[in-house]
Amino acid sequence: MEAYTSSSPIAPFHKRSGETSNMHPVLVGLSHKTAPIEIRERVAFREEAVASALSTLRRDYQLRESMILSTCNRVEILAQGGDDKEAIHGIKDFLHRYHALEPDSLERYLYVLREQDAVVHVFRVASSLDSMVPGEAQILGQLKQAYAVSGQAGAAGTALKTLLPSAFRVAKRVRTDTGISQSAVSVSSVAVELARKIFGSLKGKSVLLLGAGKMAELATRSLVRSGISRVFVASRTRARSRQLASLFGATSIPMGDLEDRLPESDILLVSTSSDSYVLGPEAVDTAVHRRKYAPLFIIDIAVPRNVDPRVNQIENVFLYDIDDLQSVIGANLRERRREAELAEEIVLQESERHMQRIASMNLGPLIAGLRGRIEEICLDQLDQSRQGMTAADSNRMEQILRRTARRIAHPIIMEIKAPTQDPQRRLHNIQMIRQAFGLDKGE
Amino acid sequence: MSGLLFNTAFAFYVAGLGFSTLVFFSKKTALFRIGVITVGVGFGLHTGFLVASAIETARFPLTGLRDSLAFFAWTVSLCFFVSYVRYRIRALSTFLLPAVAALMLGTVFLKASPITPMLRSAWLYVHTPLMFLAYGMFLVTFVAGVLYVFQERELKNKKPKTFYYQLPSLTTLDDLFLKFLVAGFSFMTAGLLTGIVWAEQDWVNGWHKDPKVISAMVTWCIYLALIYLRLTAGWRGKRAAVVSMAGFLWVLFTYLGASYFGGLHQF
Repeated sequence: MEAYTSSSPIAPFHKRSGETSNMHPVLVGLSHKTAPIEIRERVAFREEAVASALSTLRRDYQLRESMILSTCNRVEILAQGGDDKEAIHGIKDFLHRYHALEPDSLERYLYVLREQDAVVHVFRVASSLDSMVPGEAQILGQLKQAYAVSGQAGAAGTALKTLLPSAFRVAKRVRTDTGISQSAVSVSSVAVELARKIFGSLKGKSVLLLGAGKMAELATRSLVRSGISRVFVASRTRARSRQLASLFGATSIPMGDLEDRLPESDILLVSTSSDSYVLGPEAVDTAVHRRKYAPLFIIDIAVPRNVDPRVNQIENVFLYDIDDLQSVIGANLRERRREAELAEEIVLQESERHMQRIASMNLGPLIAGLRGRIEEICLDQLDQSRQGMTAADSNRMEQILRRTARRIAHPIIMEIKAPTQDPQRRLHNIQMIRQAFGLDKGE
Repeated sequence: MSGLLFNTAFAFYVAGLGFSTLVFFSKKTALFRIGVITVGVGFGLHTGFLVASAIETARFPLTGLRDSLAFFAWTVSLCFFVSYVRYRIRALSTFLLPAVAALMLGTVFLKASPITPMLRSAWLYVHTPLMFLAYGMFLVTFVAGVLYVFQERELKNKKPKTFYYQLPSLTTLDDLFLKFLVAGFSFMTAGLLTGIVWAEQDWVNGWHKDPKVISAMVTWCIYLALIYLRLTAGWRGKRAAVVSMAGFLWVLFTYLGASYFGGLHQF
């Protein structure tokens, strides 16, 4: 029994590089963590130049597969072509030559990753764990774009087609299973987050703009997108007031009406160019009283400040100035980093799973195991009916059965070996066969 | 049978409490789901216990302080489920599950009391559960008030910490507070009315001098005042939380302390 079951323990990959090296690309790159902006901007690839760079990699460096990810924070080349060492050497040489840099001048900024290290890195990049702002959504789009360009240039083969779709899946899981991208990290999104923490749903709530700077416009845009129903604008410059009114379908009101309008506003966004406070505790106190103490959220993004800070002491009033918003952003970033720790666990776990999947694509033991298992099934039947057979009959029968077993196994093996464009499907087929024939037992 | 059900229910509650506490520190949300399911199993077993002991003793298992603690635990855990399913506030478990566990633990130190002829009345089945459901709801009200104050403080101080990230909006907490306040008040009103009808029928005289009755009336007035102030003067946040805390402390006094001054109530 043991002789026939194939077992594929997950041994370190370099020991089996003969069979699996073509499954793992190598990665050479630099990022905001290893290189200053002066270096990153010199090594960056222009979007329209990527395709030709990929063909150079294939033509001059014999890299069958390659992909270039170039953003303002990182330049990374994933490539695969026979021997890892040669591939790494080739990529480095290419980077220097392409950007006309002194040989080896990039050496101190570059990182080189292989096998599982490369897998983990690609997963981390896709999940935005390696970004300046952890959890930001852009990098995944950029990675998808880089993969698409590589595919269009004919530079994506089995290695990339196995790795990248997995990375996208991991990124999605990280996004849904952790809070890494939940807390707001920009001024306008923090304004929305705070409004939601106070009011819950923003449907049916109204915002009053006092003064109408660019920042106030951005914040209002976010609030409106999050469901705010009514916008009022009070501004000294009539034209600007009307402009904003048309932009958000807002009602323009005269500055003098402010105190009458205050009680019916849930959010007050202040950004006038006044040098002194335009709103003090008395006015707000009256307004809150008339609101029956329903909460009032005041955002003062003017510098110098427009709202007397004592307003925050009034019950059910929440006053945030620009520094307060910044401190919430700081806390949210720390929160994202805490969530990133959970995400790191997911990435590690998924990279293990990925390595295992690749290992199961290792065909040698699979084929031997499959042949053995089918033969075993056939001979098992013979054993049960050997009684009453002559030795000669039994021997002949056995030979017939062995031949039958080989012929049954043959088409299945051909199917596994057949070159296919879709590595995910091949993996699926292999796993199905392993399961159907019980080839995973004893692992 | 009922003893076994009670003990396993207790064990499941404690395990659920353990899970939810772990979540509070490690933030692994998957664990919380396990915790809620565990508490759910505990609640099911607890319900089974109530049914089983009703069958075994051929009466509603609510005739002494020991029974009442277990029943109170059951209503609190029912209120936890209703509020959790509706509002998905994880922090509720941090406050409500210890209460459930403590009430269950309390029964261990008490002996079952014999039934008195007085309690052989159909009114027992109405009056008592209504009161304990009201108490459970008042506990949720109190917890919602406290959570509101926590969240309000973080928003005022502008330094988001644990509660900012774990708690829902002020409006949601206020909604939870108000709904359970009004529901609890309605149940208590119904409970008091049935109690009065029962007393008029079976109590010889002077039921209105019973310490527990007087205490319960005070409780009722506190909650009436709270509802009035909330709706007319917009009392919320710290003020509302303080009143709801006072109300619930008075509930506890009515429940556990008032009998000390005598009276006909068994518990």
